Amino acid sequence: MAQILTSKKLLHNLTICLLILAVVMCLCTFVGSQRISLLKALKGPGQSPGYNIDYEIFIIRLKRVILAAIVGAALAASGVILQALLRNPLADPYILGISSGAGLGAVIAVLSGITFTFAAGSPMAVFAFCGSILTITLVWYIGKSAAKSQLTSLLLAGVVVNAFFSAVIMFLTSIAKSDQLRTTIYWLMGNLTDKSSPVLIIASVSVIAGITLMFTLCNKLNAMTLGDQEAHALGVNIPRVRLIAFAVSAFITSVAVSLSGLIGFVGLIVPHAVRITFGPDHRQLLPLSAIAGALFLIMADTAARSLFGQEQLPVGVITAIAGGPFFLVLLAKYSRKVSWLK
Amino acid sequence: MKKIAISLIISISICVAIAIIANHYKNTPKNAPVKKIPQRIVTLAPNLTEIAFGLGLGDKIAAVSSDSDYPPAAKQKPTVGSFWQPDLESIIASRPDLVISLWFEQQKAIAESLSRLGIDTIILRIEKIEHLFDAIKKIGDATNCTKQAEELTEKIRKQIEAVRLKCASSKKPRVLWVVQTEPLRIGGRDTFLNELIEIAGGENAVGFTLQKYPQIGTEQLLSCNADVIIQSAMSSENIEAQQKTAELFWAKKNSLPAVKNKNIFVVNADLVQRLGPRLPHGIEIIAACLHPEILEK
Amino acid sequence: MKTVIKIEDLHFKYPKKSVFAGLSIEVKEGDFVCIAGPNGAGKTTLLNLLCGLLRPISGSIKIDADPVKSYSAKKLAQKIAVVRQEFVPVFDFTVTEMVSMARTPYLGTFGFESKVDKELIAEALEMTDTAQFASRLLAEISGGERQRVFIARALAQNTAILLLDEPTTFLDLKHQVRIYDLLKKMQLEKGKTIVAVTHDINLAAQYCDETLLLGPDTTYRHGRTGDVFSTEQIEKVFAVRTFTGRVGKEKFFLPLGKFAKDSAAINPNTKGDTKNNTPSLSP
Repeated sequence: MAQILTSKKLLHNLTICLLILAVVMCLCTFVGSQRISLLKALKGPGQSPGYNIDYEIFIIRLKRVILAAIVGAALAASGVILQALLRNPLADPYILGISSGAGLGAVIAVLSGITFTFAAGSPMAVFAFCGSILTITLVWYIGKSAAKSQLTSLLLAGVVVNAFFSAVIMFLTSIAKSDQLRTTIYWLMGNLTDKSSPVLIIASVSVIAGITLMFTLCNKLNAMTLGDQEAHALGVNIPRVRLIAFAVSAFITSVAVSLSGLIGFVGLIVPHAVRITFGPDHRQLLPLSAIAGALFLIMADTAARSLFGQEQLPVGVITAIAGGPFFLVLLAKYSRKVSWLK
Repeated sequence: MKKIAISLIISISICVAIAIIANHYKNTPKNAPVKKIPQRIVTLAPNLTEIAFGLGLGDKIAAVSSDSDYPPAAKQKPTVGSFWQPDLESIIASRPDLVISLWFEQQKAIAESLSRLGIDTIILRIEKIEHLFDAIKKIGDATNCTKQAEELTEKIRKQIEAVRLKCASSKKPRVLWVVQTEPLRIGGRDTFLNELIEIAGGENAVGFTLQKYPQIGTEQLLSCNADVIIQSAMSSENIEAQQKTAELFWAKKNSLPAVKNKNIFVVNADLVQRLGPRLPHGIEIIAACLHPEILEK
Repeated sequence: MKTVIKIEDLHFKYPKKSVFAGLSIEVKEGDFVCIAGPNGAGKTTLLNLLCGLLRPISGSIKIDADPVKSYSAKKLAQKIAVVRQEFVPVFDFTVTEMVSMARTPYLGTFGFESKVDKELIAEALEMTDTAQFASRLLAEISGGERQRVFIARALAQNTAILLLDEPTTFLDLKHQVRIYDLLKKMQLEKGKTIVAVTHDINLAAQYCDETLLLGPDTTYRHGRTGDVFSTEQIEKVFAVRTFTGRVGKEKFFLPLGKFAKDSAAINPNTKGDTKNNTPSLSP
């Protein structure tokens, strides 16, 4: 039976995609506003800073590529999870309040003038992370306490909380000093600036752990997309799966947002692109979307930082400008498979 | 539970693998270098560039931000990206041993990345005139130009005093400093723009406000009785065209003394609002707007 | 014969309406039971109570001698498979993918189908004659074919009990019969216990051994289909005039509305009244 996903087939696809990812990561470390040579870079750091420029720039780029991979993977995986949980192809990772929660956290961090750094992560990152986690917990409890359909309540709660917090953000920024305001907006627009190694390691572990945990629930996620009654009939413990999936999605999205601000498009479109190509079985969709998200964001970020020499475009601009037409082409070519658009 | 255990083991092993690799390539400068006099300086903002040149460090400057346009020699220097988003790679490629940056998030993050690489950085907060003098002193100390820093500071202070004295005796005109026309936002009392106004012998037409650059409504505008309106130019090109546009814009509000007496001035923000060594010159421009009868324009 | 489902003194009500007040029935292994009754009588409610989606107010429902509430969702799914109205899912799964979801309650940690799972899936596709479109999307096949796919899924779930909620609504005559043939086949060849909620009492009469007829106001009748379905019962429960006819041993029931042809001539309540010129009366 060719159509059932087997572990062999998944490993095969996964290996190919990981290889492509590795190749792209390597290639992208050689693109940038400065030219460097691999041979010189491999000579190592040397005695003092400035001794081996090629090495230093290589490391900076490598870290940035890894950062883009983590954020892209987190956002895409989160998109997959939320689209499955909410049974809504238009769900993106920020739909349940994370965007405004992170924004509020960032604004509060800037306004309060706190300057401590946590494991070399900036206060804005830490506050944004806490902001988004707290917001989504709030949205979850509002959704849960509603009598009827939890999913509709969740969506409504998310919309309302987003609107409310956005208004609070606007209020706070209006009483802020104008240069701080600009800073926050810039940060929220999405950016992949250099982070320290400990931060990168913590982030990678968190995201990979989250995605791996989620992977074990993917067959149940398949059943859940059929509806609560059907999933129950297929033996899925719906409240438990929903809670874990939701928590994982919230967590990895919050990690991504605290690292990079709000980069749009990746979480919404990458799952669809992968679904159109590989089918909706989440056991394949989740890992491949994560890899595709990583690839996509790496390439977008490489373009953002090297298209105009020293001027850096916000990466969110590239994801939308490049991603949009590419996705439309994919949609048109494979539109027979997208039944819900008919 | 088994699932969680397996996933945890997998992720921890991945983490350990990454940590090992990361550690192997960690950039640790073997010996903490003795504090040398910086020979290759990179400045990340136009006012910092001007200060560095003002201290006589011109030939030690390796690169500047792309919007550093004064003195003319600065325009010849290699650039490292704009003041809003400096380019880390270009900065590294300039092989600096000292990087001077401002304090807001984007520049602070770059400075932190650079110090992780072992490059010395100074992060300066320059929002008021006093901060400027602090900054000059800090830069002077870091570049072994303490004496020049003191001299520069003295010179600037003297020039500012001179202007202040010239404008001190006359009546204080009420000044409205407009930073944005749509929506209308003005420089409030707690800003360095207000410092300029006061040194130039004026008084802010608007009283104390909560925000530094508040938006004001038409009512408050019409009742503020501004004698002079100063407007920051949007860009430094074509000031005359902007002046004409501004005059048209304000023509409707002719209950204001400023409009009646045609005391509307569009000023070049690069000159006037840059907190650097040319500050006294900027103040003089403002003073000329406020007291044309005292100073020759 | 083993009792697989035992309902004892079941009480259940919705906020404004009492649905069951002391329902007690037993279903033996290998029975084909139909649950019939007018809208609102509680047919789907009973189904939902049986599969654990609703909790009774008092009384117990036991599956294989254990109460439903003591089962985890996974264990219950290994005992009971449910087939509801066919639908097209939000994401486009193929027929095979949909049928293989039946193995969800049996899959291990990483959730991949073993050889046994694959064999059951293949067999289910064969039995329901859906193997021919195994790689088509659910959206691409017809409603009748989709309903068969859902039944294939229930088959692949390899449970002793099959619950169906109006499996043939919206299907044409041929497909209705095919589905019931298939169900009967599963009862006879595989020994499954089948409980089907249906509006179609004629089909039920043809295929089901036992019937639970739910009446208004928590009344009910349970027994052999032939005994339960009588003209007076049907007229009472469904509140509609009914004509009962006979073709050989099979009974059929026709509801009579105001505009039925010759309805004035048919007096279904005459018992052997030969003065009328209507053929084959009498239950």
